[in-house]
Amino acid sequence: MADVLEINAITGETVERDYTEAEAEQRAKDLTEQKQLAKDKAERATAKQAVLDRLGITADEAALLLG
Amino acid sequence: MANEQTSVPLFAASEVLTAANMNLSAGTGVPVFATTVTRDAGFGGANEKVLAEGQLCYLSSTNVVQYYDGAAWATVGPASAGGLVYITQATPSAVNSVSINDCFSSTYQNYRIIFTPSTSVGVNSYISLRYRVSSTDTTTGYKYVEINSDGSSVGTSVDGQGTTLMVVGYIDPTSKGMAYWLEIQDPNQTQKTKCNIASQNYSAAGAYTIRNIGGAQADTTQFTGITFTTSGTSFTGTIRVYGYANS
Repeated sequence: MADVLEINAITGETVERDYTEAEAEQRAKDLTEQKQLAKDKAERATAKQAVLDRLGITADEAALLLG
Repeated sequence: MANEQTSVPLFAASEVLTAANMNLSAGTGVPVFATTVTRDAGFGGANEKVLAEGQLCYLSSTNVVQYYDGAAWATVGPASAGGLVYITQATPSAVNSVSINDCFSSTYQNYRIIFTPSTSVGVNSYISLRYRVSSTDTTTGYKYVEINSDGSSVGTSVDGQGTTLMVVGYIDPTSKGMAYWLEIQDPNQTQKTKCNIASQNYSAAGAYTIRNIGGAQADTTQFTGITFTTSGTSFTGTIRVYGYANS
């Protein structure tokens, strides 16, 4: 399976190829960032639930209070 | 020899035809004018043909072929002289990324891309876009806001997957139907490239999710292409690029 399909809109040329070294590096960076963002999101959700639990209210009830 | 002419000559009996006379007729077939002004001036004058029904011409200024219907000039084509103009398409099959080079140019200011993923591999993954120039993706300066709903609740996010890309839509490997519609403004102008994306997914469980993402790439780079990448393993589908005619 090739990594990339690259086409040229003017010539119609189509190339299926693997990532270049630079593209592979960017891909690795993207995946690392994606994992970090997912981790941050999960941590925020856990922290939010902890606050709700301490208050003894649901997320919907908290939204009512803040609305 | 340039094709554009300023006259449609009318020759008299016994007149000697020069090479230039003959080259003009043989070289163009259909008279070619720079603009509608030079076209109108090219008929009916001294030693010029009188304009009559059925006359054809080509206009360099607007790249169209026209015919005279006896009262006015009408455009034959191409159909692309107005409306939404097909530019190109990509049909990726089980790849991680698709790059479409030279699909943006000064010919159009605004573009529509219709992206239909048919299958994908990778749970909890998404398709993102990056603009490119000289076959190199730009990996900074993206800002976007998302609003989504499954009909019972609404979710929002800002720069949900970071600012090195712009999210197009989320991947559902078991989907019964995913579709993305992208409206892109000014990608090849010296100003920010704005983009609004509407997407929907019909899940295997029979639930619809809709999503709207709006944002921009902050540079004033004149982009010439675009790359779509999945954060998962691969995707298959069809991507068609259209330009909105400027006039």
